Amino acid sequence: MPAAAWLAAAPLFAWLALFVAAPALIILAYSFAQRGTLGGVVWEFTIANYAAALDPTYLRVLLRSVVMAGATAMLCLIAGYPVALYMGRAPQRWRGTLLMLVMVPFWTSFLIRTYAWLTILKSEGALNGVLLAIGIIDAPVAMLYTPGAVLLGLVYTFLPFMILPLYTSIEALEEPMLEAASDLGAGPWRTLRKVILPLTMPGIVAGSLFVFVPALGLFAVNDILGGGTVDMIGNVIENQFKGGARNWPFGAALSVLMMAVFGVAMAAASRSSRLRGLSP
Amino acid sequence: MRLLPLTVVAVLAAMVSACQTGAPKADSIRLFAWSEYVPQSVIDGFTAETGIEVSYETYSSNEEMLSKLVSGAQRYDLIQPSDYTVQALIREDALLPIDWARVPNFANIGAQYKNLPHDPEQRYSVPWMSGSVGIVVDTDKVREPVRGYADVFQEKHRGRIVVVDDSREIVSWAMATLGRGPNEVTPQILAEVRPVLERWLPLVKVYDSDSPKTALLNGDVDLGIVWSGEAAILHEEDPKFRYVLPVEGAHRFLDTLAIPKDAPNPHGAMKFLDYVLRPEVSAKISEEFPYTNPNLEARKLLSAEQLANPASYPPGDPQLVGFLDIGPAAVDIDKLITNLKAAG
Repeated sequence: MPAAAWLAAAPLFAWLALFVAAPALIILAYSFAQRGTLGGVVWEFTIANYAAALDPTYLRVLLRSVVMAGATAMLCLIAGYPVALYMGRAPQRWRGTLLMLVMVPFWTSFLIRTYAWLTILKSEGALNGVLLAIGIIDAPVAMLYTPGAVLLGLVYTFLPFMILPLYTSIEALEEPMLEAASDLGAGPWRTLRKVILPLTMPGIVAGSLFVFVPALGLFAVNDILGGGTVDMIGNVIENQFKGGARNWPFGAALSVLMMAVFGVAMAAASRSSRLRGLSP
Repeated sequence: MRLLPLTVVAVLAAMVSACQTGAPKADSIRLFAWSEYVPQSVIDGFTAETGIEVSYETYSSNEEMLSKLVSGAQRYDLIQPSDYTVQALIREDALLPIDWARVPNFANIGAQYKNLPHDPEQRYSVPWMSGSVGIVVDTDKVREPVRGYADVFQEKHRGRIVVVDDSREIVSWAMATLGRGPNEVTPQILAEVRPVLERWLPLVKVYDSDSPKTALLNGDVDLGIVWSGEAAILHEEDPKFRYVLPVEGAHRFLDTLAIPKDAPNPHGAMKFLDYVLRPEVSAKISEEFPYTNPNLEARKLLSAEQLANPASYPPGDPQLVGFLDIGPAAVDIDKLITNLKAAG
């Protein structure tokens, strides 16, 4: 790269070094230290934290988290793709408004929106009230504090993260491609399957990562809507810092393990794009 | 992408300004306390009288407080640790001895709250509020008497129970049913406790330490094992909520105020201590947060109704044991509960 380009990219590299690389390295260093009495770490090298983290207890929690985050990404894709398709194919003058509507929820704090679900889903809440009134159920259904409630909360939280990259790739579709498909006799369904889906694969991969990665480590939604019964790896890590164990090095080791899962997911995503020849 | 540099500048500017407002003023104290535990009216009253500004930062667990304290990112003049945390802080020589000559109102604290095992020489901590952990029952929905932990964790109560989300608390209840005190945590006892908890935990609907009363008020559950202050508020809302100290054995917690060793303004902190120990100020705290007030002079100012609330002032004023610091055994407890929850 020429000097000017380096200079232009310098803020980005500084940002990455300061806010991504440095914290990750601190966590890595902590994960090899020992537990301090009041929290914090004592700088004596050990690999005991990793030995403890590879216990089936924590691997089971990690597996459950991967399943939940994967299901969240899948449901977001199923719910988000038609929306993105509609937005991307809508008349140009509407697209800005539609995009705005996707962003509107961000105007309210994510925690407040999650607490709102609490009032909708609780036994004496709005949803049970409506279902009782129209006679679909005879007694309130326990919806809150279940894995289903957590999944609903996760999908709700991350749906925009799926829609936006999908929209970008759908909007970039070139009209002649679709016309060609139609001229060559492909119906709408076939065009979607054979032309639109493959061409928007980068958006699908990016959206899935944008949802999967943060969903894996989230703990607030599971706490509020799961009532502590659907703990994911984020809750267990949080507990090492804010719970009675005061075990920072162990929390750090679990975080490194979680980052390893991210690494695998990223590698799989970039491999799948490369195989299709869609990205360098 | 043109927005990125702008965003960077904005974030950095925000951080710089946050640091600037973080600098201590000439006469101010920095209070680091539990959320929902210090009434704003008390803070305002102190500032109006002494001219000392109070910045009030909050946390939701002792360990969260310790994390920030240990990191050294911010120095505090007053912290609000619970009994076992006071003990750990004293052991690490992290607290400043209080100059009792500057805190004459300490005399208002009842003798039964002084020289307790976590601060045997009574040098470092001022009792704030005490409470117990016990059973709260919605008597409209649960007709049969509930006297202890064993009555709560019954198959017929599956999916109707809320408990505080605190591993050590949960383990201590199971220990009580085996006749053990809450501080005898050894690997052998944890092994004995395990089968009990294996039966209990699948029955629990909600784990919530911050506001366990919510699930009861919302009608999502019918019984709970909660902080006595939460039960007292429930009882005030609706007398159908009854508080019971478990027959197998209950324990109490005592929250305190203490001054960290590196406090920038210890004299201001001691003025605050003396202020909150005044009977009329302490009574105001009780009004908002109905725990057991260790300030006996303040208790005289409470209404008959407040004193009759069995969750705030259990009949017979039983003297219960508190948690002590159990050191690394806390790691074993955390692992046990994580393991049992993950299996469910």
